[in-house]
Amino acid sequence: MAMVHTGDVGLHVQRLPPTGGRPAIATAVLLHGLLTDSLASYYFTLAPAFAAAGVDVVMYDHRGHGRSERPATGYGLDTFVTDLEALLDRLELAGPVHLVGNSFGGTVAFGYAVRRPQRVAGLAVIESEPATVGWAHKLRGLLGRVEAELSENETEVLAWIAANRGPHTARLSRSAARLVRATTITREIPASRVLSEDRIRSVRCPVLAVYGAESDLAVQGMWLSSLLPDCRVRLVPRCEHSVLVEAPGVCRELILPWIEEHRAVTGAGAELR
Amino acid sequence: MSTSEQTGTIHADDGAVLADVAGMLRVILDEYGPDDTEIGMDTTFTGDLELESIDLVTLAGELQARYGDRVNFAEFVADMDLEEIIALTVGRLVTHVVMCLNSPENSPEAG
Repeated sequence: MAMVHTGDVGLHVQRLPPTGGRPAIATAVLLHGLLTDSLASYYFTLAPAFAAAGVDVVMYDHRGHGRSERPATGYGLDTFVTDLEALLDRLELAGPVHLVGNSFGGTVAFGYAVRRPQRVAGLAVIESEPATVGWAHKLRGLLGRVEAELSENETEVLAWIAANRGPHTARLSRSAARLVRATTITREIPASRVLSEDRIRSVRCPVLAVYGAESDLAVQGMWLSSLLPDCRVRLVPRCEHSVLVEAPGVCRELILPWIEEHRAVTGAGAELR
Repeated sequence: MSTSEQTGTIHADDGAVLADVAGMLRVILDEYGPDDTEIGMDTTFTGDLELESIDLVTLAGELQARYGDRVNFAEFVADMDLEEIIALTVGRLVTHVVMCLNSPENSPEAG
């Protein structure tokens, strides 16, 4: 396990270099979603195929998640974006990279693309949207409900999840409950600074937006295409929010050729194993 | 190595690799507190040991540290979906590791 200290927090990083020791055709940084998610969602889905296709793959656990450190405070969206920026600096990945973000990971990726446009070769987001007033409102409701349910009857909630969603989801939920209990994440994320439409329009790099056709978020695709100069939207049939886990093969087939199409010359970066 | 070394080659068997993998799993499980679950070939990572998927990433790192490039967990699971991965048994992984270690490509002579 590789821990990279940004100066503020220790982040758990996994890197899969191109297989066979060949030069990388691109560098892809994969960002996972909130609470029950971790870099494992990529490690077992997109990452091996990306590495086999010659992509240098960087995955990390957001602060508070997976095996990264879990500070008590510091969970506003800007802090997650700063973590990404500091991580790329530490890994000496100064050249433009492709960002792949699932759900909240895509929101972080959008934030970084707005802050450091010259360092992003492309943005592929799955079931995601940039941080807007509407996004913050939605997250306030969602995270508020999670916190209320866990504070009122955590034992019953976790038992229901174990019985109805299986032991793995139950284990993930127990970790998420620890994160909610021990930190200010549920209050800080909805209070994050959001982006104006003008700032979102400043994202000029190619964007690929993937949604489950049955997801409430799918309408975001139309809105993004109306704002961004180079945005391709793809809907995955019969999927809702968990597209990456439910249809990893489809995600691979959509994102990998898109990265190959928009490959950028990048530095090799610091060695990390 | 707990795998047995023979003249010019390294021969791995199920028992030795199971002991290695069980040792790695004990270290991971210790993070969750005392646990005396018996680890055998039929033990499932998620159902019996209640591991999270991120624990399997840690296990992949331990396998890499122990066996080097001869065993690649990410490639092993590359064709599985997440449900299949979390339903994996210890035995299926052990069999895979033994096959990799005993592969002619991984013998010292193969360079």
